[in-house]
Amino acid sequence: MSRFFRGGDDSSSESSSDEEDLSLSEEETTTKDQQSEDESSDDFDDDEDESEESSDDDDGDKPKGLSRFLLDQDSSESEEEDVEATTKVKSAKDKRHDELEATITGIQNGQKINDWHLIANEFDKLNRQVVKLQDGGKAPKSYIKCLVQLEDFMNETIAKQKVTPKKMNATNARGLNAVKQKIKKNNKDYQEQIDAYRKDSDAFMESDEEEVPVPKKVAKPKFEAFTAADEDEDASGFETVGKGGKALQFTPESIFKHLRTILESRGKKNTDRQEQISIMEKLFKVAETPYQKIRVLMTLVSARFDLGSGGASSMPLEHWKSAEKELGVLLHILEVAKDHIVIEGAEEWEDDERAPTLEEGQKYIKIPGSIVSYIERLDDELTRSLQAIDPHTSEYIERLTDEGSLYNIIFQGQLYYEALQKDASLEVPQESLNRIIQRRLDHVYYKPAQVVKILEENSWKQVSSSLDSKITPRSQSEEAIQLINTLCSYLFENSEGIIRARAMLCQIYFLALHDEYYKARDMMLTSHLQENIANFDITSQILYNRTLVQVGLCAFRKGLVYDAQNTLQEICGSGRQKELLAQGVMIQRFHQVTPEQERLEKQRQLPFHMHINLELLECVYLTCSMLLEIPLLAQTGSSPDVKKRVISKTYRRMLEYHERQIFTGPPENTRDHVMQASKALAAGEWKKATHFIHSIKIWDLMPSTESIKTMLAKQIQEEGLRTYLFTYAPFYDTLAVETLSGMFELDSRKVSAVVSKMISHEELAAALDQVTETVIFRKGVELSRLQSLALTLSDKASALIETNERTLEHRTQGSANAFSRKDGRGGGQRGGGRGGGRGGARTGGGPPRQAGGTQFTGGALGAAVRG
Amino acid sequence: MVDAQKDVPFKSAQVEALVVMKIVKHCSSTFPTTATGFLVGMDSNGVLEITNTFPFPTVDVAVPDNQQGHQNDASSIAAAAPRAKANIVYQNDMIRHLKEVNVDANNVGWYTSATMGNFVNLSFIENQYHYQRDNDKTVALVHDVSRSSQGSLSLRAFKLSTEFMAAFKEAKFTTESLQKSKLTFRDILVEVPVIVHNSHLLTSFVHQIPPPPEDPEISLPASLDDIKRQPAQFPPHPSFDVLDLSIDPFLEKTCDLLLDSIEAHYTDLNNHQYYQRSLTREQFKITQWQTKRKAENAVRLAAKQTPLPEDEWQRLFKLPQEPSRLEGMLNARQVEQYSKQVDGFTATVTAKMFAVRGNLLPE
Repeated sequence: MSRFFRGGDDSSSESSSDEEDLSLSEEETTTKDQQSEDESSDDFDDDEDESEESSDDDDGDKPKGLSRFLLDQDSSESEEEDVEATTKVKSAKDKRHDELEATITGIQNGQKINDWHLIANEFDKLNRQVVKLQDGGKAPKSYIKCLVQLEDFMNETIAKQKVTPKKMNATNARGLNAVKQKIKKNNKDYQEQIDAYRKDSDAFMESDEEEVPVPKKVAKPKFEAFTAADEDEDASGFETVGKGGKALQFTPESIFKHLRTILESRGKKNTDRQEQISIMEKLFKVAETPYQKIRVLMTLVSARFDLGSGGASSMPLEHWKSAEKELGVLLHILEVAKDHIVIEGAEEWEDDERAPTLEEGQKYIKIPGSIVSYIERLDDELTRSLQAIDPHTSEYIERLTDEGSLYNIIFQGQLYYEALQKDASLEVPQESLNRIIQRRLDHVYYKPAQVVKILEENSWKQVSSSLDSKITPRSQSEEAIQLINTLCSYLFENSEGIIRARAMLCQIYFLALHDEYYKARDMMLTSHLQENIANFDITSQILYNRTLVQVGLCAFRKGLVYDAQNTLQEICGSGRQKELLAQGVMIQRFHQVTPEQERLEKQRQLPFHMHINLELLECVYLTCSMLLEIPLLAQTGSSPDVKKRVISKTYRRMLEYHERQIFTGPPENTRDHVMQASKALAAGEWKKATHFIHSIKIWDLMPSTESIKTMLAKQIQEEGLRTYLFTYAPFYDTLAVETLSGMFELDSRKVSAVVSKMISHEELAAALDQVTETVIFRKGVELSRLQSLALTLSDKASALIETNERTLEHRTQGSANAFSRKDGRGGGQRGGGRGGGRGGARTGGGPPRQAGGTQFTGGALGAAVRG
Repeated sequence: MVDAQKDVPFKSAQVEALVVMKIVKHCSSTFPTTATGFLVGMDSNGVLEITNTFPFPTVDVAVPDNQQGHQNDASSIAAAAPRAKANIVYQNDMIRHLKEVNVDANNVGWYTSATMGNFVNLSFIENQYHYQRDNDKTVALVHDVSRSSQGSLSLRAFKLSTEFMAAFKEAKFTTESLQKSKLTFRDILVEVPVIVHNSHLLTSFVHQIPPPPEDPEISLPASLDDIKRQPAQFPPHPSFDVLDLSIDPFLEKTCDLLLDSIEAHYTDLNNHQYYQRSLTREQFKITQWQTKRKAENAVRLAAKQTPLPEDEWQRLFKLPQEPSRLEGMLNARQVEQYSKQVDGFTATVTAKMFAVRGNLLPE
């Protein structure tokens, strides 16, 4: 029994003397069984601290309490201990050695009976013990001996295993495997000593004896000093004291050493990152050469990033700010010291003693690292913290101001990489430059031109006037469109895949934002993104959706109602705008979302300042739908195929809901306004409809509100006229154009134009008499009820035939379908042809009208959310 | 009663004019609600003579069921009337009364009204089954009010085929059983020719009805005495309904009904598809379970343990119930009915159209 183990458990014996005896006896049994108590021995400092105290307590323990009843055992044990203590005063270190010996004997026993399970256990214990006995990286000799023996034995066993057909039992085999792996790993550390042993085992063992007692006093004071140092630093911060008990000297020479220790502790548990950061800050102060500075800064920045890693929490604000500043300094240093470069894939400089110097034929001192990753990380951290902040607070705005400085960093980074790329010998991968330009683009594409201009001006001010960018020359930075264009075309030429697509989308977005509808539309259509956007990653799909919406809004601003509706349909018609634009998480009604998914979704959310106003979006969509649907509703009337021709299901549903209401109060929200306007428009009261639409407040968010309102008023007048003609045509023989123009306050030329358009699209069975300025309606063109019923019936019948065919095909697996298919299809076509012919006469208005529109029917709709 | 010919199935139904008149009156008075009633008579020598009829009292039955407040109540109650318990009692009472006055009073079936032949439904089948189960010599008379209004009386007699009776008795209309019995929608109902029979008295009365006067000019009676001596004899009113040329209403109605049938068909189809999907799913699960169990058993066998039973899946999994195909069959029969109707209709209408056209053409 060792004091050490006692000490380890002492905290509990102090706390309650009743339990003490119990714990004592337990302790004894456990030590006898050689079952080490990992928990207590693992935590190193703790044990040491307490073992000091326990040495006092040990004596006071015994007579107390109930332990008397256990006197026999206890006394015998303690006697034994006493005997040992008297004959040879052993230090804690020696005791550990004894333990070690015991364990080794255990392993040897295991070897004798070929019990690998036991060996594995003992070996684990041995390794734990040995850690405490190491001095200066040298393990005890006996341990080395044991290792070698064990390895030999193991190899032997494995060899035997291969020859004999008899199998080991499961636990044994498992034990063997465990040992094998551990030995492999373990032996690397002691390779030197093992080799020495193998060379001359006797000599090795002899030298052992003298060496053992020497280091025994070292451990304790070292740790005391360490803990003391720790406390000191925390409490006052007099002088920083290092691990060895001596004060930490921050000299330029020792910088690399410190850096190395910090780097090594990175990623490990129980490392105090705050402390490391403060050390590095001090190191940076003493750093002299650019090389030192660069090294320190890089380590420092990555240490700061480490603070923010893990989970959804973002980096603390002050650290972000300092990281940003330090990156700026780093870039500045790199700019000034042109012979130092930070580059990916450079070789690590192993020698801590001296800094690398320029050798003959070398142009640069290469330092491994990736500026672009730092910048990306910095950007991501800002986004993350913006996601977490409530966007309606001043904190958000404050945080948002950091974007300017971030943009500067990105810009400088770009300049740096451009400078690197000038030198072809460095072979800087194109990808880094692409990435950094992509980041820059991400920060400007959704901003109005004026804002971009300010950003640009600020960043140019930051860099010295001698610098210029090849990609985005200083002279061209005045115009935001020009800038976006150059950035995008650069990416388009020099990259591929997703970055290329994203660049395209960003440019389209920017164009759409600045009312360049036709350019944006043409780019959208020529990009062919709608076909394969579903294969892209989700962030790109979100960008695609955003771009789509922006193009739709742009079309609306231009007064192209049909195009706007068509473009917005896909996003707004789904009722999941929030999700598709990554502006909020939808509540999932039908299936549970795993926390993992939810976290991912939250990460994807855009920060608030990038949002597209959803209410405005809905308002635009509904207004467009109204302008298209109301005439359509009037046109189709009550014919049985009404259901087939629906432009916007969402709108129809809302309208139905609105009509079902018994009492409709004055409109409150956007939706109410649009619905009441629809009702008024359907009844021909276009003035009322215009009033309703104009009183929607959200139009104020649009640039040039007035012109949009006039545009809408004009549209409503025209659609009102169309609706009127559809609804009341059956009741008139002739209608004077003048009457119509009076009714809708439209120019008579405009009325004639609208009427002729309807006539030419065969929406209206009428003729325009130009002499008398009247519309003459033709009668009897409308289908009778029987005719329309017959048409429906023929449609249904052909659908049935198709279903039957499919079933047959399915049944016969396509073998016996040659005849029946042909036959069936012929029938179907006949029916369809007839239906189409008749229907075309009346409903032919659709296609020609639609032909002018754009059709973005990408498959990105659901994929963005379903992930 | 007619024990000797008990096994001989009747070939035709002979309906008394009285019965026809009563049915027509009852049905058209309740139109568009369905009307049902009871037929009495006897069968002799393969002819089912229907000699009298009386309607089922609808009001009495409607009272207890009124709480449902369903709109179709009147119709549905009337349609279900032949099976209602109260009506069976009523029916037996009536038969007893009729027997007392010495009328042929055997239960020979029931009648129902219909619109454009939309009578093929489950209720109809159940009613007829209810009658035919006890007595094979029963018939269902269907009076189509809508079609009769177009000029010609539409009165048809139906009975269930014996195969269908057998199938319905087992209430098994799965795909499998239908394949085995080769029962198709055509085999559900058997139509029986209807002969309208007049009593001699009636025939002689009909003969007494004066023909239309040959001379268009009728001499006015000279004095009151003249009128007393020779009361004016009016010729029967000629029916012009037959010459009705409006085709649209009929076809429209048929179209509507056909569309309804197609809808019903789709519903049925969906049900069946749902069943098939769930069946496949369930079967897949079972196969998975079986393979798993097999593997388990193989392991157990290797470890010298007793294998687990492999038929436990019957207990663990429950295959979904196949929806009855009866609904679909009836629907098919109904569609056939409509199509035949249109077919028959066009035959007469085409003739009419030619007549009209011939008249219009310049000679």
